[in-house]
Amino acid sequence: MSRIFIAALGFLMMAVAPMTLADETCMSPYMAKIVGQEDYVYIWTLGMEGVGDGEDKLVTVDVNPDSKTYGEVVHSLSVGGRNEAHHSGLTDDRRYLWASGLDTSKIFIFDIYTDPAQPRLHREIDDFVAKTGGIVGPHTNYALPGRMLITGLSNNRDHGGRTGMAEYTNDGDFITSVWMPTDDNLQGAVKSGNYADGYGYDARALPRRNVLVTSSFTGWNNYMMNLGKMMGDPEAMKRFGNTVVIWDLHARTPKKVLDVPGAPLELRCAWGSRSNYCFTTTALTSKIWLIYEDDAGEWQAKAVADIGDASKIPLPVDISISADDNHLWVNTWNDGLVRLFDISDPHAPEQVFEKRIGEQINMVSQSWDGERVYFTSSLLANWDKTESGGEDDVQYFKLYNWDGATLTPQFSLDFVEMGLGSPHQMRFGAHALYGKAPAKTGHDDMAAR
Amino acid sequence: MRQWLIGLLGWCAVSALAAPHQHEPPVVLAPGYEDLQFEPPSAGSYQLPSMGEAADGLILDTSGNAGRLHDYLGDKATVLSFIFTTCNDVNGCPLATYVMSGVQKAVLKDPDLVDQVRIVSFSFDPEKDIPSVLGRYGDQFRAEGFDWEFLTTASEDALRPTLDAYDQWVIRDYDEEGNYLGTMSHILRVYLIDSDRRIRNIYSTSYLHADTVVNDLRTLLMQ
Repeated sequence: MSRIFIAALGFLMMAVAPMTLADETCMSPYMAKIVGQEDYVYIWTLGMEGVGDGEDKLVTVDVNPDSKTYGEVVHSLSVGGRNEAHHSGLTDDRRYLWASGLDTSKIFIFDIYTDPAQPRLHREIDDFVAKTGGIVGPHTNYALPGRMLITGLSNNRDHGGRTGMAEYTNDGDFITSVWMPTDDNLQGAVKSGNYADGYGYDARALPRRNVLVTSSFTGWNNYMMNLGKMMGDPEAMKRFGNTVVIWDLHARTPKKVLDVPGAPLELRCAWGSRSNYCFTTTALTSKIWLIYEDDAGEWQAKAVADIGDASKIPLPVDISISADDNHLWVNTWNDGLVRLFDISDPHAPEQVFEKRIGEQINMVSQSWDGERVYFTSSLLANWDKTESGGEDDVQYFKLYNWDGATLTPQFSLDFVEMGLGSPHQMRFGAHALYGKAPAKTGHDDMAAR
Repeated sequence: MRQWLIGLLGWCAVSALAAPHQHEPPVVLAPGYEDLQFEPPSAGSYQLPSMGEAADGLILDTSGNAGRLHDYLGDKATVLSFIFTTCNDVNGCPLATYVMSGVQKAVLKDPDLVDQVRIVSFSFDPEKDIPSVLGRYGDQFRAEGFDWEFLTTASEDALRPTLDAYDQWVIRDYDEEGNYLGTMSHILRVYLIDSDRRIRNIYSTSYLHADTVVNDLRTLLMQ
């Protein structure tokens, strides 16, 4: 245990969770953190027809270098069928991993604490659309105290981009839902620019400012369409989100709609206890945007950096902010690059590094100390590069070590060759979160339970 | 606040001050210790949808009388927190008790609330927090005549179903040889429960503030 400094242990758990710690580094900041070596990465993986059983699955990879099975898939749990597996998130007590499907709108709740090496399916939510009053495409699974906030991407009326958010108890019981503000119904919000499109994607909370921030992507009609077909359809290309919304977190009411044109996707907020800003990147216009509270207490949005050459559509996807708020990893799906930006001045990010990781790079997750950076490849089943006879449709999970200057490859797993599918979101697990040491040390101290 | 914290340190001193981590980062005090950093939505202007039924469970009061948690729920709006008196994390149980003291102070000043609100501090350490110990702890914080109840249980077996029902995950801390360090890890959760015994909000370290809780209490009583 001495090597595994887990924020959840001892009195450190509650002391540091809320304010001083970064994610490993992209989750809700209000949960226990793995601040040392993670034992596992849980990878929510899309099923691919003809690859293995073809089903969506939660894949567990051992990433602890002290383990005999380091770098190996140690568990795979198929959920039956394909759901367009996409994002996942942990509950505030980190005992359950929620993983959602954008096509079927199903949510799978995995128990990862009973045996962190072998997650088990705890509950399946299959009535999300009915319970929420028509929200389709559950995306971000974000922990709030004792509950999960689920953002949607679409709706069951026209399968376009207008959508909402839902809340569930940690047990998986529906609590409530709210729709995003639109021109038709701003719900009291101020429309600060040209758009109030009602689209959704990601969400992050800053409780000390009573702020919830949401971003916007596109609806089911687009994200389930073949990418080439969609790109050739001018009408379809108009149906992307152009907004970030600032909410009253406590009341769950929208306060201000900000123009952020070009599909702002992932949101990452600074961790500093006095840092009132978040970053997002726009998929279609290839820019980093700063969402920030100005000196007058007003929330604003402004483009602060270009990501590559926008005319070549690099297509920024996942981003990851460092624990000290000084760096932001940015993946661009179309050119296979990861870029690192110095964001120590959040109003003027500067690119300081880039490296090619591989075709259709998508998600990035870094360890607490920033020394390990993990990547996966898949974007959406119908957007991945299947047109060129499969040569570009590589599907991988890769680990690199980062020393501040160089990314050094540690291992790479070919998810097609292994019969698994297309890997998407990664979340970290550790035995010590649950008062348990790995079985290999024979230390299981959960006697009190 | 400083004097208040020093008072708490007296309680911390009796815990087995195990220090499993030698290089912890400096602790940043939770927002609940400061003035609220935002203007909260006005009471009654927002919804607090039910998160389900507040569970029952076995309890002992500070006189050692056996009873049930539901004896303390259902007639008033109740703020329920799980604590243990030897908790030495300033942003954990001490935060909960500090904020509850703030709630008590505000409620006492509000004639519309004073007879409508109860605070319950429920220990999850039946071994150390026997009724007499918990009673002395409560006496430090309870204002004369205010309805602030301190409850414990007779045993781990009596406690466990309640913790499970409230999804309150607690881990006892052990060293590498398996010796109990006398400390416990848990996610701080404070529950707002209405007079129909429904959970209407849950607060954790980053969300817990007396002004917010009082605002929510007023919202409940306006509905």
